[in-house]
Amino acid sequence: MAKAMVRAILPMFLDRLGRVGQFLWSGWAGLAGLALFAALWQAGHERYGDFILPAPLATLAAGAVIAADPAAWALAGQTTLRAVEGFALAALVGAAGGLAAGYSAATMRLARPILTVLLGVPPIAWIVLAMIWFGSTDGTIITTVLVAATPVVFVGVAEGAVTRDRGLDDMARAFGAGPLARLTTLGLRHVAAFLFPALTVALGSAFKVAVMAELLANTGGIGGALATARANLDVAEALAWVLIAVAGLILVEYVLVHPVRSEFDRWRNAARPWGVKR
Amino acid sequence: MTNAATLSDPDPSLSLSGVGHAYLGRTVLDGIDLSLAAGEVVALVGPSGCGKSTLVHIAAGVVEPSRGRIARRYRRHGMVFQDPRLLPWATARANIAYPLRLLGLPRRERRERAEEAARRVALDLADLDKFPVELSGGMRQRTAIARALAVDPDLIYFDEPFTALDVALKRRMQDLVIAASRAARFGALFITHDLMEAVRIAHRVAVMDSHGRGIAGERPVPGEPGGRDDAGLYRLVAGLLADDPLFRHIHDVDERRLP
Repeated sequence: MAKAMVRAILPMFLDRLGRVGQFLWSGWAGLAGLALFAALWQAGHERYGDFILPAPLATLAAGAVIAADPAAWALAGQTTLRAVEGFALAALVGAAGGLAAGYSAATMRLARPILTVLLGVPPIAWIVLAMIWFGSTDGTIITTVLVAATPVVFVGVAEGAVTRDRGLDDMARAFGAGPLARLTTLGLRHVAAFLFPALTVALGSAFKVAVMAELLANTGGIGGALATARANLDVAEALAWVLIAVAGLILVEYVLVHPVRSEFDRWRNAARPWGVKR
Repeated sequence: MTNAATLSDPDPSLSLSGVGHAYLGRTVLDGIDLSLAAGEVVALVGPSGCGKSTLVHIAAGVVEPSRGRIARRYRRHGMVFQDPRLLPWATARANIAYPLRLLGLPRRERRERAEEAARRVALDLADLDKFPVELSGGMRQRTAIARALAVDPDLIYFDEPFTALDVALKRRMQDLVIAASRAARFGALFITHDLMEAVRIAHRVAVMDSHGRGIAGERPVPGEPGGRDDAGLYRLVAGLLADDPLFRHIHDVDERRLP
């Protein structure tokens, strides 16, 4: 019995270990890309001097100084919290709306012009409006993030729901599946493949918009720190803050989004010939 | 059981009476009466575009008919489609177990019954962990048949399941269905436009009117499926096509499709 359990679990475990290893190994390519970017940055620094573009290493050092300061962590935490709150709301609203639009053509027809209008208004205008409505509070940032990130999720999910395989729906119906069972076993699973890329993009824009809104609304966080660095003409510190924001984003993307997505895309990966994986 | 099973059967496992259907106001099916005795395999043939596929979808409960009554007196049915219709993101094992998941069976039982069904269609257990993209066309259709067998049905609907397969594979699949039907004693409504396939598999061949207006007629096939010799079947098919007015139009190409 125990032996049979081991025999059943071991291959699964090894398979998972192999995929984790593959994922980590793919990190070398990412690192090489970053090194190339740093080299270009260094070249720019040597051409234009310290004031316009501080060296990557000097920026890293400034970043290390900021990272050693607990107050800075509080600032980064504030921005992250706002961005994540806005992002979570956007994911919820966008996914629900996208699903409704994908399943009902009438909703889609109503939603499309609204979406066009929403996308047409520049984010900067939303910040101004949100500042009037909410003042210099979290509400301004979260509203701006919500407005910026929702359409991305909405469009991704709606496209997923529209492109679902109706043949599979018929198959499930032939085997006695009701509408709810079809939605949970087929619809949502198909939509998930579209949802995750959309969430990645939405999360990225949530962070960027949050920092921008903080800077303009002067509500603290990383954006507020950037505003201060600009006022002090401290380019190294400004760049260091940018670096920190980007690092946070990369961390979230590679620790959270990519592993979940690769779990959903296992079957797609299985179809690829050996040398092309990743 | 074999040839005695006709419309006069007092307790049919499936009976359709006066079934009709219209798509966007255009009638595609009308006045269909058909019944199947328990354990009986009926092949339904007809020219392409005559509405056979719609009829089997109606019988299986995938499409709601516009008119008529359907009485299902069997416990449970399975269905095999023309294309395998497997979930691309699930392994072959999970695909076979999918209807069992819909029935709410516990995981362990699903697994056991999926493997049992895979054995019955001669699917290698090692292939069960593969995704549909990694399987060949024949293996995918085997998986689809196993999925229908897994629910332990007493009737299976086949909607031209082997049309896309090559001749040798087609014969192997037909033999597999014949053997499975004999072993598990399930009946079947088998849609095909290949008369040879129909007479190999079925107890009875029903011919649909080329305009979907009812069943034009039916002919019993002598002998039991699986127990007939090929030479005799070839002669039967040739005879039916040459002399029987019922089969005159079954090779007509879709005349009703709008330009």
